[in-house]
Amino acid sequence: MKRRGRGMACMWYPIGFTVSANPSAAVVKIDEDGTATLLTGTVETGQGSLTVLAQIVAQELGIATDDVQVVSADTDATPMDTGAIASRTTYVTGNAARLAAEKAKEILFEVAAPMLGVKADQLEAKDHKIVVKGYPQRNVHIGDVASHARVVMGQPPIGSASFNPATVPLDPETGQGKPFGTYVYATQIAEVDVDDETGEVEVIRIVASHDCGTPINPMLVEGQVEGGISMGVGFALEEEILFDSQGRQINPNLTNYIIPTSLDMPEVEVDIVDNYDPTGPFGAKGVGEPTLVPTAAAIVNAIYNAVGVRITSLPATAEKVFAAIQAKRDAQPKQITA
Amino acid sequence: MVTVTINVNGEKRTASVPPETTLLRLLRDDFNLTGSKLGCDVGDCGACTVIVDGKAVNSCLMLAAQADGRDVLTIEGLATMDRLHPIQKAFEKYASLQCGFCGPGVIMSAKALLDENPDPTVQEIRDALGGNLCRCTGYVKMIEAIQDAARILRDEPVEINR
Ligand code: FES
Ligand code: FES
Repeated sequence: MKRRGRGMACMWYPIGFTVSANPSAAVVKIDEDGTATLLTGTVETGQGSLTVLAQIVAQELGIATDDVQVVSADTDATPMDTGAIASRTTYVTGNAARLAAEKAKEILFEVAAPMLGVKADQLEAKDHKIVVKGYPQRNVHIGDVASHARVVMGQPPIGSASFNPATVPLDPETGQGKPFGTYVYATQIAEVDVDDETGEVEVIRIVASHDCGTPINPMLVEGQVEGGISMGVGFALEEEILFDSQGRQINPNLTNYIIPTSLDMPEVEVDIVDNYDPTGPFGAKGVGEPTLVPTAAAIVNAIYNAVGVRITSLPATAEKVFAAIQAKRDAQPKQITA
Repeated sequence: MVTVTINVNGEKRTASVPPETTLLRLLRDDFNLTGSKLGCDVGDCGACTVIVDGKAVNSCLMLAAQADGRDVLTIEGLATMDRLHPIQKAFEKYASLQCGFCGPGVIMSAKALLDENPDPTVQEIRDALGGNLCRCTGYVKMIEAIQDAARILRDEPVEINR
């Protein structure tokens, strides 16, 4: 008989390690047509990080995301980046990109100030213009300022910056310190059906509530959460590297290392908890790895809720769950029939 | 060597290949159609999915010679230079792919499904994608995009929800 259960798990996850140097650098140049180019050493692996970096630069310069061309991952031409790892790109590289854009913008402000007859600190960049704060009709197009900066002032608007979450060595005696720049938090709830005659577990639904600071691109955040949940479902129920006595993997291919298909994926509901982290670019933190941290725990808690057995090693295969159900039945005092 | 002639993306093409050559190798190595991906070469991943006479097949499991004289549609046959196919457009709109390696296979499976069933349920979409593994996305946004593309291909007004 199929038994329904629900389980929950919470997690926190660190973003931007500080125990050793962890820098990213970026260059932003503003061109005379009012567009900008970002040079970054980080790599796009499909998660959309270059889109997010372009959004950050666009926001800082008051231009459109489409107006930011990103040149990435060319070690000859782009500045150094610690890597597309550790859920750090939005936070660390994002901060570097924002700072580089800010520096380029400061040059524009210095150049635009005499053009508009005000001081540089009275200016802001928005809607593709350098604008006198509070007087939107007093403005110059950002491209014209960029051109003036180069042709008249001899100072092309280029900014370069790096960001390194302040390195803090851990106390050698206590092992304590401040090992990361910031932290993200999440809760996931799993609903499962467990067949108590076969031990088979089907994940019906997962509701995932994630804090990632400001979600700079909510659709991409959802994509990360959904993908992480599929990895979490595999981790919970299917995926296991098996070795022979010589330490050789005996399931090194997709025939017997099983990952979730579209038929194994539960219905997923993503809830992004809007938040603001003052140390992140526009309040953003990160979202990649954290997404799969609570999934397996929520699923095994749901199995416990459904059939009352604690699975303490993953994956919770049908065999393992069934053996646990059997053991629990065997341990129960036999019913004495009257 | 065997001589194989297939009608690929509407164009007749011929090659002479060793008999053990798979359709996938023929497409990639002889016809330079590298959109179909070689993931596992044994039928597990679906990255090599193409459409042969209207049916989605794993081209790594079909011999080139078996495709002789048949119609083969690959991912290269969907878009023109200036216009994506509605399924591709929907995948773009919903950010359905991440690394993209599974993409050509997933999109061809979706195309075969929608050609046969213009109004599939979510369960039918899940069934159609059952042979296409994706490590990145959890399939959620693919399913949404396929529903959206189905509506567009049926010429129904699409609800704007993004
Ligand atoms: S390459 Fe054909 S199924 Fe994997
Ligand atoms: S998008 Fe990476 S495998 Fe599907």
